[in-house]
Amino acid sequence: MSSPRNRKGIVGSVVAVLSSLRLTVLLLSLCMILIFVATLLQVEMGIHEVQLKFFRSWIAWFDIVPGEKRFPIPFPGGMLLGALLLLNLLAAHIRRFKLSWGKAGMLLVHTGIVLMLLGELFTAVLSVESQIRLDEGETSNYSLSPREIELALIGPGENGIETVNAIPFGRLREGASFGFDGFELRVTHFFRNSHIEDERLAGADYDPMRANRGMGVSLAVKGKPRETAMDLRDLTSVFVEIISPDGKSQGRWLLSNALAGVQEFEVNGKTWKMAIRQQRFYHPFSIRLLDFTHERYLGTQIPKNFSSRIRLLNPETGEDRETLIYMNHPLRYGGLTFYQAGFDNNDSTSILQVVRNPAWTMPYVSCAMVGIGLVWIFSQHLIKAFARRRTFAA
Amino acid sequence: MKSLNRHISWLIPAICIVALAVGAWRATRSSEGFDLQGFGTLPVVANGRIQPLDALARNRLLSIYGKQSVPGENPPPSPAGWLAELAFKPQDADQRPIFLIHHDEVLGLLELKQEDGKSFSFKRLAPRLGEMAGEASRIAIKDSQTWSPYEKALMKLWRNLGNYQQLKFAIAHPESLGLESDLTLLLQKAREALAETEKRERGEKFDAAAVEAATARMQVLLEWSTQTEVFTKPPSMGGLAAEWLKFPDAASAAIDNGELDPSTLAFARMGDAWRSGDVAIFNTTVSEYLSWLRNYRGSDLRKTRAESTFNHLAPFYACMGVYVAAFLCAAISWLLPGGDLRRAAFRLLLVGLAIHTVGLIVRMTLEGRPPVTNLYSSAVFIGWGAIVLSVMLELFYKNAIGTAVASMTGFGTLIIAHHLSLSGDTLEMMRAVLDTNFWLATHVIVITLGYSATFLAGAIAIAYIIRRIFGKIPESTATSMRGMVYGVICFATLASFVGTVLGGIWADQSWGRFWGWDPKENGALLIVIWNVIILHARWGGMVKERGMMVMAVFGNIVTSWSWFGTNMLGIGLHSYGFTDAAFFWLSAFILSQLVVMAIGIIQGRLNAKPSGSQPIST
Repeated sequence: MSSPRNRKGIVGSVVAVLSSLRLTVLLLSLCMILIFVATLLQVEMGIHEVQLKFFRSWIAWFDIVPGEKRFPIPFPGGMLLGALLLLNLLAAHIRRFKLSWGKAGMLLVHTGIVLMLLGELFTAVLSVESQIRLDEGETSNYSLSPREIELALIGPGENGIETVNAIPFGRLREGASFGFDGFELRVTHFFRNSHIEDERLAGADYDPMRANRGMGVSLAVKGKPRETAMDLRDLTSVFVEIISPDGKSQGRWLLSNALAGVQEFEVNGKTWKMAIRQQRFYHPFSIRLLDFTHERYLGTQIPKNFSSRIRLLNPETGEDRETLIYMNHPLRYGGLTFYQAGFDNNDSTSILQVVRNPAWTMPYVSCAMVGIGLVWIFSQHLIKAFARRRTFAA
Repeated sequence: MKSLNRHISWLIPAICIVALAVGAWRATRSSEGFDLQGFGTLPVVANGRIQPLDALARNRLLSIYGKQSVPGENPPPSPAGWLAELAFKPQDADQRPIFLIHHDEVLGLLELKQEDGKSFSFKRLAPRLGEMAGEASRIAIKDSQTWSPYEKALMKLWRNLGNYQQLKFAIAHPESLGLESDLTLLLQKAREALAETEKRERGEKFDAAAVEAATARMQVLLEWSTQTEVFTKPPSMGGLAAEWLKFPDAASAAIDNGELDPSTLAFARMGDAWRSGDVAIFNTTVSEYLSWLRNYRGSDLRKTRAESTFNHLAPFYACMGVYVAAFLCAAISWLLPGGDLRRAAFRLLLVGLAIHTVGLIVRMTLEGRPPVTNLYSSAVFIGWGAIVLSVMLELFYKNAIGTAVASMTGFGTLIIAHHLSLSGDTLEMMRAVLDTNFWLATHVIVITLGYSATFLAGAIAIAYIIRRIFGKIPESTATSMRGMVYGVICFATLASFVGTVLGGIWADQSWGRFWGWDPKENGALLIVIWNVIILHARWGGMVKERGMMVMAVFGNIVTSWSWFGTNMLGIGLHSYGFTDAAFFWLSAFILSQLVVMAIGIIQGRLNAKPSGSQPIST
């Protein structure tokens, strides 16, 4: 049982450590190491993986020998360092808080930093990125997740309206089963990233499992490490069985986002369709690509501009208008921002990046605050330096 | 003696200005013989932009041979002269040893040995071109990230050979010995063939051989068109930039128009005059074509004339000399009493800065862009920014330290710029993503100033550590150096932070994400964090004067990593420029900085009572 005096001493020293500049310097140095190592590892792992494993994690695991997956050592991750820095900053300000013009600059800078860190956190949690891929003349009212996939089951509807059941990626794993009206869908094999080949050409490293129904009947699958390049995405493949209520298997299908189109099966005389596809986000409006242009500088392959002329159709607001999306000039509409992200098919397909980020204004505010704060602090230093020189000169 | 001392502060800068003026006059005066000055001014479109033939020749020569001078017997006096020779008398140009080959295995492939030298003529390489082509097409389909050093060396040589060959077809055809008469004949025969085809269409008797011969000639033009990427025929007055034509296409177009256009005729005639050594006809043709251009393509000509003059004057090379002189004056001023030499050094620095500034402005005008558009221009601008900051320091502290450090930084960054210019056209067109003057003028400028300031703080710190090797630094000097480094780090923090965040805002505007952990972004963030660490360590009393200096030197490493190291990873949206040699030099630089830091740390250990043990006052 410690005495109150002693306890105050412990609390005091904890606060002293938490609010110390030494901790600031230590944490910032750890940040530098984390960022540097994570930058180097991007060559191997890809930006997306690195973000998840190092910056959006509490503990980052470093391999001692690069490439060897043995002896990983723990290192504070981005979340942990950010949280500790935030604590350090708050503790320091609470402990030394004094309202004065001299301190105003520091306060502004640090509030700005806090806002920026929070902004990044909100972005990490709230922002959603997807893509719309449109051929010239095509209209679409949904965008696709660049990485996440879903297993879509399209049930027979009434009056020509179909119902779509989507099983999110997170729930797909070997042995998982999902009950539907009159049948059960069971995942027997799951490949996060895969390569599909005609079984006559497939080598010994391919999985022996084959489908006995649908498009995948003569195809072989092998698992692959996840893609690291920014412009490549994983091709996920699963083998599923459809089980009737009597426990009898209707057959085994191969589903993959490498296979285009849907596959059908029949239960109780009703036709169902299923497919592995990029996760879809539906919007209350649609976009039609009128024209995509890809300009190059004369006599070179250097791109000069990419632009998509689109028609925006929103039945709710009655909007039906044309607009142009091009490099550095996105379209902001309905809480979403549409960017020109890429092209395909000999310049006849445009790929638009669609981003929902409710926290997008925070960096602007925090940047202004920190900038003004720094100018404030450093001009005070400058004034002091001039004053000192004047006294020397006198 | 005393009066001379007093005048020295004016005399040295005055001598320097006179020397520069003489140099400029010699560089721009026209030489006797072929009017290469005028020839070099002629506008063409290459690499996506209108440029003078002089710039085309210079950049090709630099990227192939690494120098702007031509080797071999009776060398042409200028890059433009080399281009004329290459186009009009290729058999002479093919004997000049301009292809550099260092890699053993590439030498082996070409049946050459180290003893044969390092540079080889096209003629020497020609017998093994088939062998090279096979290797090149094998390597080309591989991902360039996976190329071995041999493959990289081979592909570089292969590209250089391709670029060299293209120039032969830019304004002439190597197999035509009288291009003007050949083209005239072509027009005449084409007209005759046209008449024959009309006869055939009317069902009359016609000369099939004439039609066939003309078709074969047209075929030559079509093939020729694939052999060059240079556009020589300007659009008619007021025409769009996209209407420039390549030489062979202009010749084909002439068949419809019935006559050769002025540019095609002029180049053909120049070639014939060059081959027959007729200086008078060559010069008249050049001047007639120039006056035609003045009337019909005035603005293009003004641009190419400015760029050609700029290349001849080479202001950034002139700056390098001035900065060395300024550094020497500053260094000597510490050994001599009186402030005259210090003032001379400062004025020299201002002369250098003036030329540097004019150079930057001319480049901006030529490109129609803010000063930093690629790695080359960032090097030029980092030096400029460091010098502007040092001028302010020198005005404040008046101890020649600012001058000395600035002149060295300016010299160093311009050396780097020179090596970066070897990779090709430094006024290249901007890729679509970067095509926005607003963000180039804000984010890029501010972040580059952050680099400048961090390097400057590091450079002052190096000066401090080196100075301490020679004994204790007087308290007043130590105080001012401390103040300089501290002040510059404050500025560096501001600029690198604001620059980094502006980059984030640009990314948000263009790609929908504020921060993507892209290597270049991380590099910029590292600079911000490092400067912030120095400031907090200083405020917390964790480091004193010497510690701050050692940390500032580490700032050089962090900045060089962000500037070059991140580009070497070859990933992310910012990976726009990389050369292998850069990796070696970056490592060497980092090593040298570590040595300086070690010296700084050891100094502190040796001195039982460090000189920098004053209480924190900032």
